[in-house]
Amino acid sequence: MKKGSALGLTAAGVVLTVGLAACGGGSSEGNKAGQTGGDKASAPAAQEAFNAGVDKVFNPSDAKGGTLKFAISEDWDSVDPGDTYYALSWNLVRIYGRSLVTYTPAPGAEGRKLSPDLAESLGESSDGGKTWTYKLRTGVKFEDGTPVTSKDVKYAVLRSMDKETFPNGPTYFNDWLDLPKDFKSVYKTPDVNTDSAIETPDDQTIVFHLKKAYAGFDNFAALPGTIPVPQAKDTGVKYREHVIATGPYKFEKVEAGKQYTLVRNEHWDQATDPVRKALPDRYEITLGVNADDLDNRIISGDLHVDLAGSGVQPAALGRVLSDPAMKARVDNPTGARTWYTSIIGDVPPLDNVDCRKAVIYAADRVGLQNAYGGEFAGGEIATGVMPPSIGGWKKLDLYPTGTGDAAKAKEALAACGKPEGFETTMAYRADRPKEKATAESLQQALAKVGIKLTLKGYPTSDYFTLYAGKPEFVKKNGIGLATNGWGADWNDGFGFMSQIVDSRTIRASGNYNLSVKDKEIDGLIDKAMLETDTASRDAIWGQIDQLVMERAYVLPSVWSKSVLVRPQGATNVFVTGAFDMYDYLGMGVQQ
Amino acid sequence: MVTYIIRRLIGALLMLAIVSMVTFSIFFVVPRMAGATSEDFANRYLGKAATAEMAAVAAEKLGFNDPVPVQYGRWIKGVFAGAEYDTGASIEQCPAPCFGYSFVKRQPVWPELVDRIPVTLSLAVGASVIWLIGGVAVGVLSALKRGSFFDRAAMSVALAGVSLPIFFTGIVSLVVFSYGMGITAPGGAYTPFEENPAEWAYNLLLPWITLAFLYAASYARLTRAGMLETMGEDYIRTARAKGLPESTVISRHGLRAALTPIVTIFGLDLGLLLGGAVLTESTFSLKGIGDYAVQAIMTNDLPKIMGVTMVAALFVVVASLIVDLLYAVVDPRVRLG
Amino acid sequence: MTAPLDAPGKAAEAEPEAVVAGVSGKAIQGRSLGQIAWLRLKRDKVALAGAGVVVFLILVATFAPLIVGWFGHPPNEFHQEMIDPSTMTPKGGSGISGEFLFGVEPLNGRDLFSRVVYGARISLLIAFLATVLSVVIGTVMGVMAGYFGGWVDTVISRLMDIFLAFPLLVFAIALVGVLGQFEQQLGVQGDTLRILLLIFVIGFFNWPYIGRIIRGQTLSLREREFVDAARSLGARGPYILFREILPNLIAPILVYATLLIPTNVLFEAALSFLGVGIQAPTATWGGMLAQAVKFYTVPHFMFFPGMAIFITVLAFNLFGDGLRDALDPKSSR
Repeated sequence: MKKGSALGLTAAGVVLTVGLAACGGGSSEGNKAGQTGGDKASAPAAQEAFNAGVDKVFNPSDAKGGTLKFAISEDWDSVDPGDTYYALSWNLVRIYGRSLVTYTPAPGAEGRKLSPDLAESLGESSDGGKTWTYKLRTGVKFEDGTPVTSKDVKYAVLRSMDKETFPNGPTYFNDWLDLPKDFKSVYKTPDVNTDSAIETPDDQTIVFHLKKAYAGFDNFAALPGTIPVPQAKDTGVKYREHVIATGPYKFEKVEAGKQYTLVRNEHWDQATDPVRKALPDRYEITLGVNADDLDNRIISGDLHVDLAGSGVQPAALGRVLSDPAMKARVDNPTGARTWYTSIIGDVPPLDNVDCRKAVIYAADRVGLQNAYGGEFAGGEIATGVMPPSIGGWKKLDLYPTGTGDAAKAKEALAACGKPEGFETTMAYRADRPKEKATAESLQQALAKVGIKLTLKGYPTSDYFTLYAGKPEFVKKNGIGLATNGWGADWNDGFGFMSQIVDSRTIRASGNYNLSVKDKEIDGLIDKAMLETDTASRDAIWGQIDQLVMERAYVLPSVWSKSVLVRPQGATNVFVTGAFDMYDYLGMGVQQ
Repeated sequence: MVTYIIRRLIGALLMLAIVSMVTFSIFFVVPRMAGATSEDFANRYLGKAATAEMAAVAAEKLGFNDPVPVQYGRWIKGVFAGAEYDTGASIEQCPAPCFGYSFVKRQPVWPELVDRIPVTLSLAVGASVIWLIGGVAVGVLSALKRGSFFDRAAMSVALAGVSLPIFFTGIVSLVVFSYGMGITAPGGAYTPFEENPAEWAYNLLLPWITLAFLYAASYARLTRAGMLETMGEDYIRTARAKGLPESTVISRHGLRAALTPIVTIFGLDLGLLLGGAVLTESTFSLKGIGDYAVQAIMTNDLPKIMGVTMVAALFVVVASLIVDLLYAVVDPRVRLG
Repeated sequence: MTAPLDAPGKAAEAEPEAVVAGVSGKAIQGRSLGQIAWLRLKRDKVALAGAGVVVFLILVATFAPLIVGWFGHPPNEFHQEMIDPSTMTPKGGSGISGEFLFGVEPLNGRDLFSRVVYGARISLLIAFLATVLSVVIGTVMGVMAGYFGGWVDTVISRLMDIFLAFPLLVFAIALVGVLGQFEQQLGVQGDTLRILLLIFVIGFFNWPYIGRIIRGQTLSLREREFVDAARSLGARGPYILFREILPNLIAPILVYATLLIPTNVLFEAALSFLGVGIQAPTATWGGMLAQAVKFYTVPHFMFFPGMAIFITVLAFNLFGDGLRDALDPKSSR
C-alpha cells in the first residue's frame, strides 16, 4: 500500500504538472560536471558505478555537518506520524521521531531487519504471541526536554487509531488490539480504560494485548504510529504543524505544501540511540517542485534527493541511461512492489479459469514491462504476485513471459468455450500514464486472439472507493480487468499479501483485492497466520502466490524497479531494503 | 449615477449567486442523478480503510443526507458567517469567508486560495502589461502604415499568434529557452515579489511572454481594425482640417476612440485570467488558482471546487463591473438609465 | 431595397451587404452583392490558401483510413521493435523513416503519422459539430432577444452575461467529468460518449459569443426600411422573422461560424491536453501533446501534433478573415 501511494503521489499530478525544466540543463550542466570532476581529486575517493549504492554503502563517512537538500514534486499525506502511509514518509519520519523499533539503516536486505529504537530490545511475546512487551530506553527526551514515557507511546498508538481525525495511516492496531467496545477515540472517550489493549505498568514498560496471536508484531511496533506523542501538546489535525520531535532533528519551519526545514534537536542524546548517526546539521525539504526540474537539479548536483524515491521522469531516463558517465550515478533497486492487472472472475466469461488463463497467455509481457517504463525504470517481468524480496518467494514458471503466446491463448479460449474470443471492459487509473499504457498494450495484444477490450479510465482518487474497488460497480459495468499495484508494508508474506488475496477483507467499497476470491486461499492464509515457524510460514505464502497464478486471478506486469540518481556531495548513500529508496536516516553531507 | 452603480452592483451579486447555484448543482445534484449516494460523497472524505458504517456516519455528519437547498444554504452561510467543522479531535473554525473545508487536505479552502492568488496575479498582471503595450503599439503602427511590409509582417505574426495553443508554445519555449539555452527559468519556478523582485520577474519572464504573445496578437488585430475605422471618421477629418498636428490627431482623437472597445475586452480578459490561467499554469507548473482548480477537480475535492469557481467568477464579475463603471465615467454617451 | 419580398428565393444572396455591419454600404447597381463578395474572396489569395488547407484537412480526416493504409500503420498498433528497451525512446532519436513518416511515439512505438492523421478526425468532427450547436443555440437566442426585445431581451442578455462570467475551461473540465458518469442513462459509451460530451460542453459554452452578435444584427435589422416596408405591407411576425431577418443573418452566421471552428479546435485540444477529452487509445492532438511533454527530450513527438493544431487553426482563421472581409464592404483591408 504505502509504496503504491508513494508512486500515486507523483502520478496524480502527472497529467497537470507538465512543465519542463532546465535548471543547469544543457551546457551549464556540462560545466557543473567538469567542476565536480575537479573536486573529486580532493574528496575521498568514491568510485561512481552503476548500482554502487545498492547492497553496499557508497562514500561512507562519519563526518558531521552540512545541509541535506531534499525535494518532491507534490505533497504527501502528512508529517504527523499517526497519519501517514507513504513509504517516503515512513523513511523520513525516523529523522524526527523514534518508534519502538525501526528498520536498521543498512543497505539491501540488511535494511529490512528490525532494530530496537525507542525500546531497549525487540518485543518479548507471551501468551502464545498475543501479548507483547517492550522496555523503553531511559534518557530519551522530547524536543522540549520532557522525558519520554511509555504513556506517550500508548497515547500515540491510541491516537493514531482515530480514523475520523487521521484517515491516512494503516489500520493494523485497529484490527488487532483488544480494545473495549465503548472506546471510540482518545478525543471522544478520553476516560475509558484501555488497559485491555495497552498497559503501561511503569514509565518504561509498555504491553500490547492482541485479539489473536501474531508472531510478527515487531513489524507493528516499527510503524510510525508508535512514535511517542505528548498528550499535552497534541492538537489533533493541527499536530502536523508542529510535530514534537524525539529524533535527532526537530522542525524549524513548517510551510504545508511548500517547505519543511529541520534542525538539530539538542535534547536528542546519541548515548540513547545506537541506530542513528545524525550526520547533517540540517535538512531542507522543498515541496511542489516541477518533476522534470527536480531531476535536472539532482543531475546537476543542486539537490541531493527526490524524496519520493520512485525514480526519474521519462524525460530524464534517456539522459541518465544513455550516457555512461551518468549511468555510473544510477542506482537501480528492485522494490517490494508489484504492478499487475486483476482478472475479475465475477464477470462472465472470466468466471471460467480458462478464459482468465487466455488473458495471461495472450498478454504481451514485454509490452506490459515497457508500459511501466522498461527493464530499468519499470522492472523485471513478474511471474507471480509476490515480489522476490518477500520471504517464501519462489520463481514461478506457469506462463510464458514473451510477447504473447497466441496458440496457447487460443487453446485456453477453446477450453473455456469461447474459441472466437469475447468482449470485456478494462478499468485503469486515467491520470496514471503507466496504467493507461498497460491498458493500451493489453487491448492490442488481446485483440490478436479475439478478446476485445473496452478501456475505461477512472480518476485515481475515486478508483478504489467508487469504481474498481466497489464490487457492485464492477459487476454492473462488466469490468473484467483492472490495473492494480501493491507494495509491501513490510517484507513478509503477511505484510505484502494479506490485503490483496484474502477474500474476507472485501467490503462494499474501497477494496484493493479486486479478484482473488478463493476459499482455498483463505484457508491457507489462516494456516499461515497460525504457523509460528518462519520458514514454514513463508512456504505457505509462496504456495498462496502459486495458487493465485494457477487460477489466473492476476496478470502480473512487473516487480518494480526504479532509476534513482545518486546524489552528488552526499555521504553514506545506500538503498535500504526496507523502503527500496535511499535511506534518509544514514545519509550525510560531504565535508 | 449612484442608482446606476447600485443597479450594477445588485446585478453583479445576482450573477454570483446564480454562478454559485449552478456550480453547486453540477457537483452536488448532477452526480446524484447518475446514481451517486450520500455515502459515495462521504467516502471521498474518508481514508482508504473506511467501512460502510463509517461512510454512513460521515454522510450524516457532513450533511449529505439533507435536502440540497439546505446544503446550499449552509454553504452560503459559511461564506458570510464562517463555519465549524468537527474533525473528530476538535471543532475546527473555518472563519468567513468560508468557501468550504477540504476534507482531503483537512484545512479550510480559503487560506489555500489566498496563498495562490499572488501567483496568478503576478502571472496575469505581468503578462497583461506586456500584451497591452505590445499589442496596442503594433496595432497602431500597423494601422498607420497600412499595407506596408511592417503591417503585413506584424499581422501575419499576429495571426500565427492567435492560432497557437498556449500549451504548445509554452512547452516549446521551455524546451528551447530554459532547457536548451538555459537563459530562462525552468518550469515551476516562482519567487514571491516581496522576497526578491528581480528573481520574481526572471522566473515569470517566460510565462509572461508566452501568455502575452497569445493576447498581444489579438489585441494588435483589434487595435489595427479600430484605428482604421476611427481614422476614417468625419471628426478626424475635422481635427486635421483644424490644423492639429498629426501626432495629436492620432493620440488624442484616433487612439482614444479606438481604445474604448479594447478596454472592455481587456477588463474581461484580465478578469478571466485572474480566475485562473489554467493552461498557462499547468504548462509552466505554476501553483496558481487555475492549477488549484484542476487539482481540485481531478481529486473530486468538492469544497475546493466550489471555492475556486466562486473566486474565479468573482474576478470576472468584478472586472466587468469595473469596466462598466469606468465606461460610465469616461464615456458620456453611456446611458445611465 | 425591397427586393426580398419580390424575390424571396434569392434573399440570402441578395442582401449580404445589409448584414454584417448593419449600416448602409454602397450598393453597386446591376451586380448581386453575393457575386461581389465572391469576386473579393477570389482576389484574396491568403484566404483562398486557407480555404485550400481547410479542404485538404477535411479530406485527410475523411479518408484517414485510406491514407494511413497507404502511408502508415494502424494508429493504435504497437511497434515495440522501434523502441530502445532501456530508455523507452525511439531508436535513433525519432524513428523517422520512409516507413514511419513522422517517427514513432516513445514507449510503444505507435506510428505518429497515423495518429496525427486520425487526430484530425476527432478534432474536426468535434469542432464542426460543436460549432453547429453553438450556432443553433446562439442564433435562436440572439434572434429572440433582438426581435422581441423587452423582457425576453433582458433575460437572454443576462443569461449570456452569466455564461461569459463562468470560468469556462474549469467548468468544461468539471462537466465532462461529471457527465461522464451517465453512461448507463445515455446508453452510449467509449469514444461516442466522449465525443458527444465534448460537442455538448464546447458548443454549449460558446453560444453566447454568437448570440451576442446575432442579437445586435437582429436589433438593427428590425429597424431597417425593408422590414418596415414589409410590415406596412401587412406582413406578420413569423413572415418577417423567417423571410426578412433570418436570410439576412446567414452571412454573419457563416463568418462567425468559420471563426468559431478554430476556437473550438483549440478548446478540444485543451481539454484533451488536460486529460478530460477522448480517452485512450484513440489519438487526439491535445492528448498526444500532453504525453509529449513528459518526453520533452524527444522533440518530434510534440512537434507534429502541435503543428497539426497550429496549421488547422491558422487555416480556418485565414479563411474566416477573408470571408468576413469579402462579405463586409466596410471591412478595412
